[in-house]
Amino acid sequence: MVKILLLYMILVSGLLSQDSYEKNCVACHAELPTSLQRMFMRYLLVYGSEKNMKVGIKYYLKNPSQATSMMFDIFIESYGIKKRTTLSDKELEEAIDIYWEKFKVFGKLK
Amino acid sequence: MLASKNKATNSLLKSEKKSLFRFLTLYIAMVLFIIITLSIFYYQSQEKLMLYDQRATLTKYAYIQTKRLKVLHHFFDERVKYPRDERFKSAIYDLEYHKIFTLLDDEDILFDKEIYIRNGHIYLLKGLDEFYLGAKYLVIEIEDDGEWRGGIMKDIIIYSLLFFIFFMVFGLYLTKLFLKPMRDSMLLLDRFIKDTTHELNTPLSAMLANIEMMDTSVMVDKNKKKLTRINIAAKTVSVLYKDLTYLTLEQEKENEDKILSLKEIISNRIEYFDILIQSKQIKIKLNMKSATILMDRRKLVRVIDNLISNAIKYNRRNGVIEIILRQGEFNIIDSGIGISKENIPLIFDRYQRFNDAEGGFGVGLSIVKKILDEYNIIIEVEAKEQKGTKMVLKW
Repeated sequence: MVKILLLYMILVSGLLSQDSYEKNCVACHAELPTSLQRMFMRYLLVYGSEKNMKVGIKYYLKNPSQATSMMFDIFIESYGIKKRTTLSDKELEEAIDIYWEKFKVFGKLK
Repeated sequence: MLASKNKATNSLLKSEKKSLFRFLTLYIAMVLFIIITLSIFYYQSQEKLMLYDQRATLTKYAYIQTKRLKVLHHFFDERVKYPRDERFKSAIYDLEYHKIFTLLDDEDILFDKEIYIRNGHIYLLKGLDEFYLGAKYLVIEIEDDGEWRGGIMKDIIIYSLLFFIFFMVFGLYLTKLFLKPMRDSMLLLDRFIKDTTHELNTPLSAMLANIEMMDTSVMVDKNKKKLTRINIAAKTVSVLYKDLTYLTLEQEKENEDKILSLKEIISNRIEYFDILIQSKQIKIKLNMKSATILMDRRKLVRVIDNLISNAIKYNRRNGVIEIILRQGEFNIIDSGIGISKENIPLIFDRYQRFNDAEGGFGVGLSIVKKILDEYNIIIEVEAKEQKGTKMVLKW
């Protein structure tokens, strides 16, 4: 009984410790053939700055469409367009900030 | 106030020199301004031409680097080594001018210029159409060997010198034109004085000789007074005549320098002016010790006469003239109208007069200065308006 309780507590605390990005993005993207890194580079290629890119991602997540997607047509035909986000603005911005920090180019080039 | 030795004073009026100096200063400043402005324009145009030549090379480097950034973008983050090239250095900046990565020495980029030179480097700013690695701006830097600058500076120096010489010659011609009316009027005045002086000699000599010969003992007091007035007037004209003669005829004569006793000469000249001194009831205070000077008598008399006659002429009624003589120094102090501080440097200029109440051509002190300069005698002038003037001669 004690063991079950302990296992349950570990699972719950694990879930609670996950951030907005891990909790809401990683799980779904893990099933896709393109990594979040590559998607990041596609956004970067088009938006060219942190501010632009964050605004662009946020807009796409709230209004997903083929026209505003950064992915190839063939990718969209295979996997479709994602559903409109249900996250609040605060959660969304938090997840995007973490996404930026995780894959940004600044400070990584040598 | 020390009126120091200045031989040019008499050959060129101070006002004339002042005008000439102002004109030349303005002219040289204008010529230099034109030369500097043209040099700057020439330098800038040559710099633009050089940058125009360099633009092709730098654009080629930018194209090569863009290709490399494209590759790196697609392999990021398995590859993170920024592409380098021996021929140039580069840097990338995002849309908001934030530095993504740089190899440049100078990170202060001028984003409003496409190509520019700074601190011995030439920079090209290239805007990217696709933001590889998030870069909007690619900056290419190459060393500027400065060889082009040496050639330009040589051209600028040679052409500026030629330009300057040409304009200086032109300026001299302009100066002559500028001074001509002034010189003409001085020459005219000189010629007039020379002609007038020549005609004054005979009547003046006749007047003075006849005054001396007149028997005053048989005259009534009224006539004696009138004769005294005529004598004063004749002596005043005589001093002026001697000054003018000296100025126009005698100054060219050879000097006959001798050791002269100043005490004796001053006493004689005071006696000569006695009638003028009496007419203004001026008190003479003499404090003279024996003193000698090696000088032409004629010239010494002109100096003493002018200094004494000025001390009388510009003195007040019942005033005082103090004469102090020591070896190497002669002082003459009057209690007259004095001279304002700003006019002191100008009193030795020819035709300069500061008091219209008294007559004269304004040549007396000009002669004094010319003679003193010739004998290296220093003259110091101290004066206070309405208090008096002190002139000190030192040799």
